[in-house]
Amino acid sequence: MATPQHITLAQSLPPRLLHFFKRFPPPQLSAATSSAAAPPSETITIAENTSSSDPNAGASTYEVPLPTSTATSNNADVGWKKNPFLAFKNPSTGNWHPPHYSLRRQADLFKLAQTHNVLPLMPPSPKHPELKAQKRIEHGLRVKGTGEGQRVKGKYWERTLKTRLETRRKAMESMPDMINLWRERGHGRGWKKYPSGKEGKGTAELFDPGMRHAWVHERAPTSTA
Amino acid sequence: MAKKAKSRTIAVRLISMALTGYYKTFSRPRQHRPLSMLKYDPVVKKKVLFLEQKRGGTK
Repeated sequence: MATPQHITLAQSLPPRLLHFFKRFPPPQLSAATSSAAAPPSETITIAENTSSSDPNAGASTYEVPLPTSTATSNNADVGWKKNPFLAFKNPSTGNWHPPHYSLRRQADLFKLAQTHNVLPLMPPSPKHPELKAQKRIEHGLRVKGTGEGQRVKGKYWERTLKTRLETRRKAMESMPDMINLWRERGHGRGWKKYPSGKEGKGTAELFDPGMRHAWVHERAPTSTA
Repeated sequence: MAKKAKSRTIAVRLISMALTGYYKTFSRPRQHRPLSMLKYDPVVKKKVLFLEQKRGGTK
């Protein structure tokens, strides 16, 4: 049954949006009316009410019986009645039909619906503001990795920068000790371990502070003897 | 056919022990002990120890 709220709502809507709701009545409204009185003729009365309230909808008389015709119409009609904003595959023929409204017209309708606060009545669409906001979060800055729960891979030098700086810092910490040992060993005359030059190997195998005491201990008896 | 005689000197690479990837190339007599010296490393902007890189297994 057409409630007074529905009628005032229909009077406040722009003709374009009203036409859309007439052709594709929102399931919330039709469900409410069907639960109230059940027969499909009730949905017709709503359509009639809205059309009577709309001054521009002169040719809406043929639109009125559409809610009842969905029960008996072909599959394509049912698909579009489900959601005129999505493409529909006819199960009997296997043909795909484009959405009843183009993306441009969908966007226009959603803009109108948002300004008139009737977004909850609109069927799901790629142009729905909530869906668009969700996609924006998902894709981030449209650069790979900037979306939610993603990581920017980065260049090789960026990925390895932290570990390289860490090995460099460790090497520089032990550098004074290493130089002292090198000097004690006759500026390299007694130096036995040399780097292989491969990446990822620190100076640990070439030098560690404990090694120095061992060497001093070795030298001590020879010097005394 | 006789093998080609090996040269008396070799080019060696001295690696910065600051592990910055910086190196210097020197030549030394083949029979000489490996080179090591204190040199300036522009990456850490300090004088650090440079040690000769071990040469490959094919030589």
